[in-house]
Amino acid sequence: MAVWDLSVTLEDLGAEAPPITVSVTSDLHIGGVILKLVEKSQVRRDWSDHALWWEQKQQWLLRPSWTLEKCGIHADARLIFMPQHKALKLGLPNGLTIRVRACFSGSVFRTVLGICKMLNIRRPEELSLLRPVEEKKKKKDKDLSEEVYDLTDVPLTSVHSLCDPVLTDLPSCLVSRPCLYNGMPAHFADSPKTEKVYKIRWLDSSRSLMQQGVQENDRLWLRFKYYCFHDMEPKYDAVRLTQLYEQARWAILLEDIDCTEEEMMLFGGLQYHINKLSLSEPQAMTSTPAMDDLDSALQCLEVKLDVGGSSPQDLLVRYDDSKFHITPKRLTLKGYKQYWFKFKDDSISYYKSKEESLGEPIQQINLKGCEVAPDVNVAGQKFCIRLLIPAPEGMNEVYLRCENEEQYSRWMAACRLASKGKSLADTSFQSEIQSIRSFLAMQQTNPSTNSSQTDDNINTHSLVSPRYSKKYKTKQLAPKILDAYQNVAQLSLTDALLRFLQIWQALPDFGLSFVVVRFKGSRKDEVLGIAPNRLIRIDLGVGDVVKTWRYNNMRQWNVNWDIRQVAIEFDGNVNIAFCCVTADCKIVHEFIGGYIFMSTRSREQSDTLNEELFHKLTGGHEAL
Amino acid sequence: MDDIDAMFSNLLGEMDLLTQSLGVETLPPESSSSTSKEVNFTMGFADMNVESLNELEENDFDALMADLMADLSATENKLVAELEEQKDAKVANPDLPAPPRELSSYVVPSLSTTTSPDTGLNTTYTPLADSHIPSFSPPQPPQHEKPSMEDVEAQIKSDKIKLALEKLKEAKVKKLVVKVVMNDGSSKTLMVDERQTVRDVLDNLFEKTHCDCNVDWSLSETNPELQLERGFEDHENLVDPLSAWTRDSENKVLFQERTEKYEVFKNPQNFYLWKKDKKTLKDMKDRDKELLVEENFCGPSIIVPDLEGVLYLREDNKKSWKPRLFLLRASGIYYVPKGKSKTRDLVCFVQFDNVNVYYGKEYKNKYKAPTDFCFVLKHPQIQKESQYIKYLCCDDSWMMTLWVTGIRIAKYGKSLYENYKTSMAKAQLTSAWNNRSTTTTSTPSTSSTITNAKASGKANGYAPQPPEEPVANIGIEPPPPPPLPPAQILPPHPTVKRSPSPNATTKKLPSLPTKYPPSQATIFNLPAPPLSQDDSSESPPDFLPPPPPLPDPGFLSLPPPVSFLPPPPDSDFPLPPPPPDPAFCPVTNRVPKPAPPPRQLYMGADVPAPPPPPPPSFTPTSSVIKTAPLPPKRTTPMQAAPPGGGDFMSELARAMAKKRANQ
Repeated sequence: MAVWDLSVTLEDLGAEAPPITVSVTSDLHIGGVILKLVEKSQVRRDWSDHALWWEQKQQWLLRPSWTLEKCGIHADARLIFMPQHKALKLGLPNGLTIRVRACFSGSVFRTVLGICKMLNIRRPEELSLLRPVEEKKKKKDKDLSEEVYDLTDVPLTSVHSLCDPVLTDLPSCLVSRPCLYNGMPAHFADSPKTEKVYKIRWLDSSRSLMQQGVQENDRLWLRFKYYCFHDMEPKYDAVRLTQLYEQARWAILLEDIDCTEEEMMLFGGLQYHINKLSLSEPQAMTSTPAMDDLDSALQCLEVKLDVGGSSPQDLLVRYDDSKFHITPKRLTLKGYKQYWFKFKDDSISYYKSKEESLGEPIQQINLKGCEVAPDVNVAGQKFCIRLLIPAPEGMNEVYLRCENEEQYSRWMAACRLASKGKSLADTSFQSEIQSIRSFLAMQQTNPSTNSSQTDDNINTHSLVSPRYSKKYKTKQLAPKILDAYQNVAQLSLTDALLRFLQIWQALPDFGLSFVVVRFKGSRKDEVLGIAPNRLIRIDLGVGDVVKTWRYNNMRQWNVNWDIRQVAIEFDGNVNIAFCCVTADCKIVHEFIGGYIFMSTRSREQSDTLNEELFHKLTGGHEAL
Repeated sequence: MDDIDAMFSNLLGEMDLLTQSLGVETLPPESSSSTSKEVNFTMGFADMNVESLNELEENDFDALMADLMADLSATENKLVAELEEQKDAKVANPDLPAPPRELSSYVVPSLSTTTSPDTGLNTTYTPLADSHIPSFSPPQPPQHEKPSMEDVEAQIKSDKIKLALEKLKEAKVKKLVVKVVMNDGSSKTLMVDERQTVRDVLDNLFEKTHCDCNVDWSLSETNPELQLERGFEDHENLVDPLSAWTRDSENKVLFQERTEKYEVFKNPQNFYLWKKDKKTLKDMKDRDKELLVEENFCGPSIIVPDLEGVLYLREDNKKSWKPRLFLLRASGIYYVPKGKSKTRDLVCFVQFDNVNVYYGKEYKNKYKAPTDFCFVLKHPQIQKESQYIKYLCCDDSWMMTLWVTGIRIAKYGKSLYENYKTSMAKAQLTSAWNNRSTTTTSTPSTSSTITNAKASGKANGYAPQPPEEPVANIGIEPPPPPPLPPAQILPPHPTVKRSPSPNATTKKLPSLPTKYPPSQATIFNLPAPPLSQDDSSESPPDFLPPPPPLPDPGFLSLPPPVSFLPPPPDSDFPLPPPPPDPAFCPVTNRVPKPAPPPRQLYMGADVPAPPPPPPPSFTPTSSVIKTAPLPPKRTTPMQAAPPGGGDFMSELARAMAKKRANQ
């Protein structure tokens, strides 16, 4: 058999180094080529991660037993011998960038599997990689100096052993929530809406990174791609939960998903609460907050059981302590007349004077179920509490005017608790006072000094989307957020995260990925929305949903790879076909198949990932 | 926690007294505690809405009285039972190192004192008590292990304190007498305590009406003044909304079938895919319906139907109704201001935290609404015309159902689905039970013994009897009295009562008496209904573990445990162990002990309430029947419990008798 020369570039020698030429025959297998190559290179090192990349064909030669003939390689082939794992800059949902060693030779699906395993993110099939929006250089480019967490030293074990996470001690960056942006990062703030939403930049999950033109040290984003988050378990999912929260948060702040003002304020309140909690107890997240909750619950239970126990005296003392009589406070009622007010349990009583406060009150107001709203003007030293108290005839409106900030904070906190049926003995009383104070402070200090403080005072504008931060001034915004915050202030960190995600998932447009398509027989571009359970057709002009198709009515779907057309058949002889305008049809195909795969998971008992099925459903012709 | 705290502050003095007296000698403290308890009872009684009591018809009064009596005596006796158990524990425990003097001295007196309460034992454990049982049990086991006398004493002391606390707690429980209007216009009167959910009350009513228990049954409130109606959700507390009623309120509580209650789970497509054409919706496959429910209710967050449409809004205090485009979101109802876009400029119309949704009736007349299909959002406390009530009007009844259901989903979320599942389980089991009983009837040849041996549902019916006897005998030399009275008086009654019902019970009855003493037969008779009830709440045919759910203090929920538990003692101990108290291991003992009472309780308290007169009809009437069963109940405690806690009860009974005499 004829011997011919095959030249191979050794990447490790540098780009300038001349290719190494080895003499081969056509029936030599790839393994043999590599052996010869390594021998000839005279470099002693571990070559186990290296493989041959065929540049013209953009493919890896990963089967060592295949002969050159079988691979179709001739003397003109340009081969590069290089490592399969290379460094990749990965943007996480929480805005941090990490450097990881990722697999460039396996399918993106497997690469993500490996990355997620290293980061300890369960259910990696829900995530994928996408190309970042091109960053436009802005005048104030703070982001250039961004910190990159280098995780390339973390050994990457084989993808197959998915049993235990590689990183047992999580880098704190993975669970941290850097929320104190002063404004938006440049690249987030001004990508044109249409491009951001409709241009799908997801990588093809059945091909390798190299095949999709990703180079070493390129920057990619890791994001949740499929909006069905199976089996979320805060105990094991610290990273997953945090990253998902961050993704949801940014989706809301960037108005990728529409929400109303009320919803936005609630999101803002939750963010504020989450920030505060994660600042005050940075350990809580890693040390399973569920356990802490349990501990405190048990403690509470113990106290309960102890009630009748041997030490009733202790209990009495404790009770008296926490009772907290706010009795001596002077307030003015509507019409600004002065009365002596007394707060007990969940009602307010008022008297003509302090001396009479031992007798019958003029009136007693039960606050349970009432609405409490602030009516505050810090600059004008006006601290009013507006109470809407339900009565059979309607709501009674009562204003309590406090003398100063301090008094206001305490009474406001007390009213809030009472309206929820809690007494002052409740543990949240002090924290309630604290947060009211900090919100007051927010309205007091002028914005310039405010932005420099980072820890205690939050920047309200970082909590809501630009739409609302433009609409309201800080001092208007703060009470709105505070108001919403009151309803969630009792939540633990994990519960707050979960609540945030819940509300996000309950938004009408949740889970939709959009792609501009052209339906068969239609002359104009329309938008196809892909949701976890359905496809929707949206009229681009009006923005209305024209039609909905549900996956569970779907008989089959086909892709004609030649004309790049997706055809779907539904029950009842409904057929649709469309070509994709802003994305490759493979992406749409992958979305549909992916969601169908996701829906099979719940029924499957085993926790093992059925990779083969995923590939079958999403692979397209690569799967064949 | 707060409750306990409050109780402490309220009755500090008494507590001190108690702690002091809780020394070695037990007799004095016992009496002192019982007096204090009586005080509490009186307080509890006074708390009740006396006015409404006066308004009640005679028969209602009887029923309530019985309820109340049962309640009181039960709590009363629970204390005794506790003491009894402690004593039993000690007596029964041979490992106890030669009980010290004082200890034994403790035992003896308490024994003598308990004689009276013993009768009470049968009637022990009210619903209220029931919920506390668990908290009591812990101290029990340690008792055996602790050889040290001080420990034992401390234990006793703390137990007593706990007990006193429990009683204080019970006395504070708010109770309402509620008149429920039935479908046929008749009414039943129930006592509802503040811990009962609507579900509990429904179960209670199922028991009393022998209806088919399907998921549509619901309690609703009407407000005639505002012409409003609202179905309570099963997880709601009944007392809360009722407390919002004004004194002179003409509001009513209705017990009726409301098909829209759980329609969203039966035909989710009509709500979630309402835009699709009617035919596709109708032809929806069951599997697809399930999937829809799963998708929208089983995920991490509840998905609210995507609702939008033009509704008419009643302008504040004006007579006009303005059309507006409204949207439903999980966070509330929004509307689109004129000329604004649908997505970005939504204005919040109302959020659901503080309002309930009501159906408005005949608003075309009342408020000149465009149609009669109106719904209303208001704070539950508002009972009269007010600017804070929001009125909306839909084009047709279907849109109204859509909106109201959508709002309920947004407001109640997952609880709605949980409620549905509970109702379904209940309905299915009830029907399973009914089916089964009919099959048994169809083969009348099956002798009762066989059924018994098989421990079928029926067998369970009388199984409880054996343990009950020993329990009853524990303290009393002349044992028969307690069981007997019911036997004498009740038998005819239950038979009559059951006959209208399709149950097999009646048919089997005849054979039973021959095998068992009459008392057992009667008892068996009565429990039947609770059985079916409890059946439905748990597994039906197998009688696995009884469902001790706290469904409620309901007298009804308790019997089941009784019926299930007894069998073990049967086999473990000689069946007729008249004076077996010490033989029982305290633990086993305690279980059956609390249980039997409810049954009697049930008899006494419950029979009168749904007193189907001889003619087979469920409507509550004829006080004659009711009076019949009652006497035993009242007299028994009177006779048997002179020294212990009987005073108060006998007083009540006397009052009853007096009242009757006056008639």
